[in-house]
Amino acid sequence: MAGNKGRGRASYTFNIEAVGFGRGEKLPDVVVKPPPLFPDTDYKPVPLKTGESEDYMLALKQELRGTMKRKPYFIEKPEEKPDIERYSKKYMQTYKEEWIPDWRRLPREMMPRKKCRKDLKSKNAQGTDKVSSLINAADVLKKIEELEKKGDGEKSDEENEEKEGSKEKSKDGEDEDNEDAEQEDDDEEELEEENDYVNSYFEDGDDFGVDSDDNMDEATY
Amino acid sequence: MYQVHKRGVVEYEAHCSRVLRMLRYPRYIYTTKALYGDTGELIIEELLLNGKMTMSAVVKKVADRLTETVEDGKTMDYAEVSNTFMQLADTRFVQRCPMVHTPENSDTGPPPPAPNLVINEKDMYLVPKLSLIGKGKRRRSSDEDAAGEPKAKRPKHPTDNKEPIPDDGIYWQANLDRFHQHFRDQAIVSAVANRMDQTSSEIVRAMLRMSEVTTSSDAPFTQPLSSNEIFRSLPVGYNISKQVLDQYLTLLADDPLEFVGKSGDSGGGMYVINFCKALASLATATLESVIQERFGSRCARIFRLVLQKKHLEQKQVEDFAMIPAKEAKDMLYKMLSENFISLQEIPKTPDHAPSRTFYLYTVNILSAARMLLHRCYKSVTNLIERRQFETKENKRLLEKSQRVEAIIASVQATGAEEAQLQEIEEMITAPERQQLETLKRNVNKLDASEIQVDETIFLLESYIESTMKRQ
Repeated sequence: MAGNKGRGRASYTFNIEAVGFGRGEKLPDVVVKPPPLFPDTDYKPVPLKTGESEDYMLALKQELRGTMKRKPYFIEKPEEKPDIERYSKKYMQTYKEEWIPDWRRLPREMMPRKKCRKDLKSKNAQGTDKVSSLINAADVLKKIEELEKKGDGEKSDEENEEKEGSKEKSKDGEDEDNEDAEQEDDDEEELEEENDYVNSYFEDGDDFGVDSDDNMDEATY
Repeated sequence: MYQVHKRGVVEYEAHCSRVLRMLRYPRYIYTTKALYGDTGELIIEELLLNGKMTMSAVVKKVADRLTETVEDGKTMDYAEVSNTFMQLADTRFVQRCPMVHTPENSDTGPPPPAPNLVINEKDMYLVPKLSLIGKGKRRRSSDEDAAGEPKAKRPKHPTDNKEPIPDDGIYWQANLDRFHQHFRDQAIVSAVANRMDQTSSEIVRAMLRMSEVTTSSDAPFTQPLSSNEIFRSLPVGYNISKQVLDQYLTLLADDPLEFVGKSGDSGGGMYVINFCKALASLATATLESVIQERFGSRCARIFRLVLQKKHLEQKQVEDFAMIPAKEAKDMLYKMLSENFISLQEIPKTPDHAPSRTFYLYTVNILSAARMLLHRCYKSVTNLIERRQFETKENKRLLEKSQRVEAIIASVQATGAEEAQLQEIEEMITAPERQQLETLKRNVNKLDASEIQVDETIFLLESYIESTMKRQ
C-alpha cells in the first residue's frame, strides 16, 4: 500500500508539492543559533515626518517633560546614597511646587500623619512621567501597612470600630487632623507590637563601629 | 482611581491605558492651539498637567502665564480666558469631574472610608456662574528659573489668597474622548482628500461638523443628514451648485471604501458617515503600508490580493499575483512568520491528513491589527529606553553644558565684553560640543519617532475599539 512505499526511504506525511518544494530539491539549511539581535533589513525605514507642527510638538514634549518633573505629583524614586555627598548636588535640587490636595475627594486613609512628610500623592494616574505610578517608596510603605492591617482579619474590624468610637468621643472642637493623628498613633502602636523583630534584640556585628574610625591602623583581632 | 470594597478596604487601580495617553499630550495641546489659539492651548496644558482643577484656578494660572509672554505694560484679562474656557466647555473639550456624593442620611453610620464620586450626565458641561474679575500678574523676572539655575529661595506665590473660592469643589478635566473624536474626523477627512479631491473632503468635513454634538463618540455612524442640510452648512465661499453637491455625494456613497453611505431618499437624499467602515479601511491601509515598507511592494501586492479574495491557495496566489513561485512562496512565509497572514485548514478527510487538506491563506484584519498594535507598544518602549540610555550616558556632559549656559546668562546680565563670553564658551571643548550636537539630534529623533508611532497607535486603537463596541 501507500504506507509501504516509504519504507527505508525519506518521505513526508503531507503533499510536498503543496508546500512548494519540488521533489528532491534542496531544503533550506537548518538554523542552529538564534537569529541576530539586529538583523539587516532589506528595506530601510521611511524618514520621519518634518514640518512646523512636528517641530512644535517636539518642543512641547520636551518642555512638558521638564515641567512635569517639577510638579508636586511627580514623586521621584529615592536614590541610594552615593559614597560621597557631592557639593553640587545641593544646588541641583529641583524645587517642587507646594500643593495641598482636596481631601474630600480622597480616601481617608491617605491623610498624612502628624510626624510624617507632607506632599503625599493623591490620584495615581496623574503626574508621573513614565509608567511607574505605583512603584515608589511612600506607596510601598502604605501597601505594607494595609497588608498588615488586612492580614489581621478581625483586627481590622476592631480598628474600624475604634475609629468610630474615638470619632464620637472627640467630635466637639477637635481638629480633624488631630483625630486622625490619634487614630494613626493607635494603629502605629498596634503595628509595632505585632512586629516580628523586636528592636532590643539587635546585636551589633563585629563590623559595627569600626567603619566610623578611619584612622584605624591597627589590625582587628 | 480607587473604589471601596465590600469589606471596607479601599482598593486602588492603575489605569494603564490612561498612562499611555500621556504620549499624546503634545498632540492634544497642539490641536487646541490650532482651534482656540494660545489661550486655549494653555488651558488644556494646565488641565493635562494637573489632572483636575477648578475653573478659577485655571483662569488665574493661564492669565498669569499669558501675561508673562505679552510685552511689558499689558496684562491678560481674566474675562478673555474665561471666555475661551466656556468655549471649550461648549464644544465639550473640557468636562466636569465627578463630584463628591453626599447622601442625605449622612449622620447615621460612619462616613465611608473613601468618597463616592458621581456625576450627572447633564451637569457635565455646565459652567458655573462665576464673575472672575482680574488681570494676570506678571512674575518678577528674578523669579524666572533658567534650567538648572540654583535658586536662593523658593519663588513667592502670587498672592495666596485665603478667601474661599467661589466654585470650590467643582473640578474640570480635559475630555480626551472628544479629542479622539476630533482626531478621528481629521483622519477621515484627509483620507477622503487623498483618495478623491479637495471638494469631497470639504463635504465630508461639513457633514462631520454637523454631527459633532449629535452623535456620541462611539456610535457606528452619524445621524442621517439630508443633502439639503449639507448644502446649507457648507462653508461660506464654497460655491458649488446643489447638483454638483449631489453628484459628489453619490460618488462618495458608491465608493468601495464605503466611508459615506446612503440611507434614504427624503430631503434630497439622506447620507451617513460610516465610522466602522472608515476606521477599518484606515487600519487596513496602515497594515498595507507597513508590509510595503518592510517587505517590498510585491509582498504588498500579495497581501492586498489575499485580502481581496479572502481565501487563496498557494498556487492561486502565484497565478493571480503573477509572481514566480519561488518568490511568492518566500514572501508568503515571511508574512506568515510575522503573523500578518494566517493559514486556514480545510480538511478533505475526517482524519485531517496533511496530504489531503487544503491550506488556504487568509488575512484577519482584527488580529493583524492587534498584533501590529502590540508591536507599536514595543517600539515606543524601545524608543523611550534608548532615549533614557542616551541621556544617562551623557549626563555629565549635559550638566556641564547647563552650568556653562547659566554662567553665560548671569555674566551677560551684569554686562560683559566679548572676550569674557568667548572665554566662558571655550570651557566646552570642540569635540564635546560635537558630542552634544549628536546627542541632541539623536534625542530629538527618538522623541519625534515616539510622537509618530503614537499616531499609528491611535488609529489602531480606535479601530479595535470600534469593533468591540458593536452590540
